[in-house]
Amino acid sequence: MMNEIIQIVGKETVRVVIGLIGVLILVVVNALMLTWLERKISGHIQRRIGPKEVGPFGLIQPIADGLKLLGKEILTPSNVDKPLYFLAPVLIFIPVLVSFIVIPFDVCLQVKDINVGILVILAFSSLSVLSILLAGWGSNNKYSLIGALRSVAQNIAYEIPLLLSILPVIFMTNSLSLKDIVEVQREGWFIWKWQFFAFLIYFIAGVAETNRTPFDLPEAESELVAGFHTEYSGMRFALFFLAEYTNIMIISAVATVFFLGGYLGPFLPGFVWFFIKTYLLVAVIMWFRWTFPRVRFDQLLNFSWKILIPAAFINLIVTGGLLKL
Amino acid sequence: MGKGGFYLETKGPIIKFAIAEKFINLARANSIWPMTFGLACCAIEMMAAAMARFDIARFGAEVFRPSPRQADLMIINGTVTKKMAPTIVTLFEQMPSPKWVIAMGNCAISGGPFVFEGQYNIIEGIDKLIPVDVYVPGCPPRPEGLLEALMKLEEKITGTRRFPIPEQKW
Amino acid sequence: MVKTVFDDIKNTLKGVEISETSYDERGYHLAIESQKANIINIVEFFDGKGFYLEDLCCVDYKDYLELVYFFNNHKELCRVKVALKVESDKPAAPTISRIYTIANWYEREIHEFFGVYFENHTNLTYLFLHDEIDCYPLRKDRVPVTEDDRRLLNSFKPEEYEDGFFINLGPQHPSTHGVLRVVVKMDGEYIVSAEPVLGYLHRMHEKMAENRSYLQFLPNPPRMDYLGALNYNLGHVTTVEKLCSITVPERAQYIRTITAELNRISSHLLWVGAFVADLGGLTPFLYTFQDREHILDILEGIAGSRLTYCYFRFGGLYNDVDDAFIDATKQFIKHLRGRFGMYEKLVTKNVIFINRVKGIGILEQDKVPKYGCSGPVIRSTGIPFDIRKTEPYAAYDRIGFEIPTGTIGDNLDRYMIRIREMEISLNIIEEAIEKLPSGPFKAEKVPKKLKPPKGDIYHTVESPRGELGVYIVSDETDTPYRMRWRVPSYSNLMTFPYLAKGELISDAIATLGSYDLVIPEIDR
Repeated sequence: MMNEIIQIVGKETVRVVIGLIGVLILVVVNALMLTWLERKISGHIQRRIGPKEVGPFGLIQPIADGLKLLGKEILTPSNVDKPLYFLAPVLIFIPVLVSFIVIPFDVCLQVKDINVGILVILAFSSLSVLSILLAGWGSNNKYSLIGALRSVAQNIAYEIPLLLSILPVIFMTNSLSLKDIVEVQREGWFIWKWQFFAFLIYFIAGVAETNRTPFDLPEAESELVAGFHTEYSGMRFALFFLAEYTNIMIISAVATVFFLGGYLGPFLPGFVWFFIKTYLLVAVIMWFRWTFPRVRFDQLLNFSWKILIPAAFINLIVTGGLLKL
Repeated sequence: MGKGGFYLETKGPIIKFAIAEKFINLARANSIWPMTFGLACCAIEMMAAAMARFDIARFGAEVFRPSPRQADLMIINGTVTKKMAPTIVTLFEQMPSPKWVIAMGNCAISGGPFVFEGQYNIIEGIDKLIPVDVYVPGCPPRPEGLLEALMKLEEKITGTRRFPIPEQKW
Repeated sequence: MVKTVFDDIKNTLKGVEISETSYDERGYHLAIESQKANIINIVEFFDGKGFYLEDLCCVDYKDYLELVYFFNNHKELCRVKVALKVESDKPAAPTISRIYTIANWYEREIHEFFGVYFENHTNLTYLFLHDEIDCYPLRKDRVPVTEDDRRLLNSFKPEEYEDGFFINLGPQHPSTHGVLRVVVKMDGEYIVSAEPVLGYLHRMHEKMAENRSYLQFLPNPPRMDYLGALNYNLGHVTTVEKLCSITVPERAQYIRTITAELNRISSHLLWVGAFVADLGGLTPFLYTFQDREHILDILEGIAGSRLTYCYFRFGGLYNDVDDAFIDATKQFIKHLRGRFGMYEKLVTKNVIFINRVKGIGILEQDKVPKYGCSGPVIRSTGIPFDIRKTEPYAAYDRIGFEIPTGTIGDNLDRYMIRIREMEISLNIIEEAIEKLPSGPFKAEKVPKKLKPPKGDIYHTVESPRGELGVYIVSDETDTPYRMRWRVPSYSNLMTFPYLAKGELISDAIATLGSYDLVIPEIDR
């Protein structure tokens, strides 16, 4: 039966469909695992153990959370803007799924190697800003609106350093495709081939893009009750939650691909190295959350416009100059 | 009031599957998310229960959500005054079901030490306004009392108790 | 100072009856009887001399109501009591809120509890009570609320205006302030005006005091401020002891000092955690709670409870301390001294934290007497005012310690002062343990039914939040005629609308956190 299907649609389509299903499973499992990882890391930093009773080492905890959220009442407040309210959680999950299509997990483990791969990721991550705005506006709630507007300003401000810090690597590789970027790093990872500052700028901007502490003003718990997802309950809230964790994964994955060599490494198979490097960065991002207080909003924007963007520009110009010589 | 533990069910499921109910109740019991809601002295003991020494996170309940729409459990800790009562009822109604309420401390159970003849400002017990599932006496109760209340709530939801009660030796 | 004030009043204000009182018996130096005609002149005189309004309360003697004003000076102790009699049927008095800003709230409170109408007051709406109350609660007889009074009391409703919107901070607050609601008028992210709404935890302590005997009222003050419970207990107990002239043995004084300082440390530890948690750093909260658990264990061994201690009794303590307590305290002092370095690295030297608190919420020194601030708030502006030094109680006059002050009065100053106070408290405890004498821990022959002599007394102690004052009027029965609590958070909170104007909302929340408010003590 497989052969008949392949004959009808073509090998490539089947491969892409299988890849998409794999990516979907990966995204869901990964998001669940990251919630568990966050609670364990936060627990150990705070001198306690996190979830322990629910399964060995609390490993079944995320499944319990997920089932509980599935079983919650689907509550729609009466005065929300219904199309926007319903659209926002769906819209926030699409970019993360699409971004995973172009990430190379191993030499031959990539759903589709589009030759403008990084452009796809950047374009779709801008879309997630739109969904936050829809959530904030559609909730018809002052706190959600303030949180959403803060998030929009923050994301717009930090996308520019994100892009500018990736450009030097693209210059050095002469290609926008993620596979090529990893392949070029066989001679040496970009992080120690002149691009250390670009890595730092990218990492900071990436943390700001995902709305994590120290840049988590849109969900500032002590000021605005829960930010832009105040009015969401049950599975819709779970989608926001999962999208945030998957965003962290994407930022770390892109950082791995661009600066840390992707799936390259001795002895172990490629995708094991990829996941080790990515999860290391994810753990560092989680570590930030439990160490630093929040940056104030105008300090946040000042930091981006007055410090990060000029630094990224200087890095770009210096790289361009070095490449010419 | 069924084994699921909810009292005011606005729209129950049309078809119930026993096995699925059992698993979902197990999941609900192991992942109860309280709301950050502290009124008075007992709130400090609730915070102490969430801190490193008593660690409510072991049972999956450390995610304190500030918004009532995302929380399952409301712990009323502290005296309920007449000015605060409408707020509490609004918060309770905003929570999606299934939801539970723990009345922590003497003030939430029956007014506590502030009941005297001629009192004009407190409500003697929160169960005059919203349905309560577990009562924790004490002024303030120890954080272990709150953990035991969580165990009792889990027993109410699933029907079995997580840790056996140690046998009384007297 | 007392002599000069006495002479000045005699010379400048004619027709004012002033008399000197014994400070040891009454707690105040001068007593002035005033009339409605010259109360404003008297208040302006004190304002000119730099005095601050310590308290404004009302006592219902059934034929008349007496408004009692207490003035005091930060630089040198001179407490003056000004009494104004108003008629009990449709009482009215001139307002002093133009001169002292804090009187705005004191007069609102007196209006809703006693029915006294203050002429020219800008805002006589409900402060603590809800709108279904139909009588004035603290009056001795049942006096129903009149119709035009009800209209006046109910007129606080936040309205819409075009360029901004109203936001409610609380009463369900994700930070640990308790049930405080602040109605904030905003213009984008900036605050145009902030108005606190109180009364969500009004538990009728003052009314309960009139219905309970002195001994029965003992559990109530710890529940007013559950974080500094021993200091409230101490305030209550020392005031009654002063009124009844009970001498407390030396050992009890020293133990009171030790336990009150331990309580101060635990309150400040919780504040540090909550303050940084407000700013977004959730981890120090857990570390400070961990340290606090040590103190709670030590105090549980002698006092019996973890949070709302009721350890002091009239004449001494409930039970004596043993060697286990002394050893545990010494170990704890060593442990906490080692932890300060970690807090220094994690919080105080953190760039993000410094940027969030430096230069924010600056309170100027000349504004302080208008509000009557006390505690770390006033010490952050540079005025070294501490009740433990100006009016020593327990064993504080036999132990040497210094008072930390700040420079500009911003949030960072208040933070550093509280850290420094914790270190100083550790030194005080050490010295007190060394000097601890042996002997009885309770005075003998304290009657079970205390019947203090007729009269009134005002006594203050230094709670972790500031100056806590107790004013008791006794009529020789075993229940107080009136017990009034002057709480520090009340006057500190009054500066918040002034400081929050024009700030970003994040800064306003940081400032609110730096006051160390405990709402049940404001609402009493």
